[in-house]
Amino acid sequence: MATSTLPPRTRARTKPTGRAPGPAGDLRRPRRRITPMNLTLVLFVVPSVLLLLLLNAYPLGFGLNQSVRDGSLLDDGQFVGLANYTDALTSTAFWEAARFTLIFTVVGVFGSWIVGLGLALLLRTRTPARGLFKVLLLLPWVVPIVVSSTAWNWLVATPSSPVPQLFDALGWGTPLFLADPTLAAITVCIFKVWVSFPFMMMMSASALASVDPVVYEAARMDGASPRQQFTQITLPLVARSTYISWILMTIFCVNDFPTIYLLTGGGPVNATTSLVVLAYRSVFQNFETGSGVAIAFLMTAVLVAVSVVLYRQIRKVDTA
Amino acid sequence: MNSIESVSRFQMSRRGFLGALGAAAVIPLLAACSPGGVAGGGGGAGGGGGAGTIKFWDMPWGQANYSRAGKDLIASYKPAAGLGAASYQSIQWNNYYQTFSSAIASNTGPAVSSGSGFQAFQFAEAGKIAYADRVVDALKKSGSYDDFLPGVFDALRTSQGQVAIPWQMDLRVLWYRKSLLEKAGVDVPTDWASFLSAGKALKKIGVVGFATGAGSGFNLGGHAIVSMMINNGGGMFDTEGNPDLVTDRNIETLEFFNEMVSEGIIDPAAVSYTSENLLTQWKDRKAGMGINTPGWNASVGDTENDVLVGEPLVSPNGTKGSLYYVNNLMMYTASPNQEASEAFLEWYVDNMKTYWQQKVITAIPVRRSIADLPEFQENAQNVKIVDVWQPISQTYSARSTSSFGALAAVDGGQGMQTFSQTVLAGKSNPKQTLTTFQAAIESLMKKKS
Repeated sequence: MATSTLPPRTRARTKPTGRAPGPAGDLRRPRRRITPMNLTLVLFVVPSVLLLLLLNAYPLGFGLNQSVRDGSLLDDGQFVGLANYTDALTSTAFWEAARFTLIFTVVGVFGSWIVGLGLALLLRTRTPARGLFKVLLLLPWVVPIVVSSTAWNWLVATPSSPVPQLFDALGWGTPLFLADPTLAAITVCIFKVWVSFPFMMMMSASALASVDPVVYEAARMDGASPRQQFTQITLPLVARSTYISWILMTIFCVNDFPTIYLLTGGGPVNATTSLVVLAYRSVFQNFETGSGVAIAFLMTAVLVAVSVVLYRQIRKVDTA
Repeated sequence: MNSIESVSRFQMSRRGFLGALGAAAVIPLLAACSPGGVAGGGGGAGGGGGAGTIKFWDMPWGQANYSRAGKDLIASYKPAAGLGAASYQSIQWNNYYQTFSSAIASNTGPAVSSGSGFQAFQFAEAGKIAYADRVVDALKKSGSYDDFLPGVFDALRTSQGQVAIPWQMDLRVLWYRKSLLEKAGVDVPTDWASFLSAGKALKKIGVVGFATGAGSGFNLGGHAIVSMMINNGGGMFDTEGNPDLVTDRNIETLEFFNEMVSEGIIDPAAVSYTSENLLTQWKDRKAGMGINTPGWNASVGDTENDVLVGEPLVSPNGTKGSLYYVNNLMMYTASPNQEASEAFLEWYVDNMKTYWQQKVITAIPVRRSIADLPEFQENAQNVKIVDVWQPISQTYSARSTSSFGALAAVDGGQGMQTFSQTVLAGKSNPKQTLTTFQAAIESLMKKKS
């Protein structure tokens, strides 16, 4: 019997395609048979597949199941269809939380990016003790959030805290940074920028490091101003890295629980309640797991959509 | 036939293989998720504990050496013949409800445990609590029942039965700093009018008259408001246990809070105060009065007998009252031996005085004999709380006499935090604020029913 030495996959590709279709116009690919070799390979993959199923698919499926039930932490409850989703989407609390999440994310992403990029550009210049500055500037990112939120609370919480006292000394009164709804929202956003800018700084610094200095030299010789160099050279060349950092920071901001909860708990009067805080409260304070998980899935859907949009931007950059 | 040929005959389609693979993956998952999937019943200690051992879970209710005292106490338990011994497990307060819930749901929870005010009600509604009526009968028979302070058993009774046995109490009482009141030139207040006057006088010397907080993870502000509502003859529920917030008494209470805020008696930043912020305020002698928990003088670090418990205020309607929680000991249905659980619980409530004798706990006892211990009598503030405050205190479900599981979500939930922050901000319309809060509670209770 004549046998081919080619592996099955190659053989399938080299089959003549001029075969006449069957009675039903059968153009389907022939069923592949699992050979001992393929079986062995697949069996090697099985543990990883099972692990992935256990770590990802099972919790996801379990969560989806929770989101269509009216259960608690103790029991699964009754099937309620999409009621938890519709309840969330028609509640004022959800949209107020979504609004704050949007503000928090936009300020968090672009605020930290502007500060981070600015510092990264600054650190490219010949600055004395540049290494020391780099380490010091990384501290907000490195210090545990519990520690930094406690420090910020000490700085701003009471009228006798250092920052309100400073404002008082300057004749600006003693603002209630965490007790006034507007000021609390601003404080939380600034805290987020402070915590996040080192990450953006690192991302920007690594992108800037890959830009050839010769490009700037050529631009200068062509008479480009510093502003033109920044907008026409720096920004386009670090665009890929920028979009990636925006995607990551968007995910960090939308999912950020400790920054908000440790500083304000979502208050005062829900002024700083984000979607993730709302979901936490639903599950662990109101003991309504279905509502909380439904909110979490809605957040995930939005995050995926935002990520897709930003990834498309990256592709555009790549093909440009 | 050679071996290669024999292997090549064992062929299946890719789809078939994936199907078999999926089935193989699902079987252990289904086995793990099925109600009976977890081997070994709950309540009994695993490992070397023995099948009939009663697992007792306890939170750290007192000082650092509390858990050691608890372990020693349980080790001294000598069960009657045929009944299992007991084991001790300390459960941290952080996420304790999740710890209990997941353990009970997976049938690996305790047989008996201590717990916070509403825990037993929550688990009872889920069918996980073994009612303690037989223990109550046994305590009546032995005479121990009459040693408990009035009302504490009633606070843990539902139409289904006794959900738990009282273990100790957590009250909200009025504290004041004597030296600051003297400096302000005012007497210790006895009613709302004198309280307002004292607050104004304290304000003049730069001291907060009503120190409280409603910041992140801190619900004292809500407790203080509910305490004052109860003090004024109001409360959150009617006698049938239905939400009933929009009443004249409650509106009057919130108007009183509005006045305190507008007069500067309540710190405008209290809305965002955490427990640490409040403690600092008291330690820095910036707080003159406030509703707080038993043992607050110790927390503040008062060694000069300067932070003292005041008298319950008399409201404009002539009523007195405050809020209290009866923390309790409960039994679970997943016990290896219900008779053994009951025997252990009966023994435990007759021997728990050791915590107060060893001074590892500052909580207020539920038994007169413990309150009469010389070790407890040394603390004049705690004695005053037992003698003066406990008799006039009511539970969170006031004006109803029985509690229910949804109270846990009301107490720690988003609605209460929003309510307390709105009130402490002092710019609210009382009727509107109460209406909003009532709607939030109704929604919560509707989902729980």
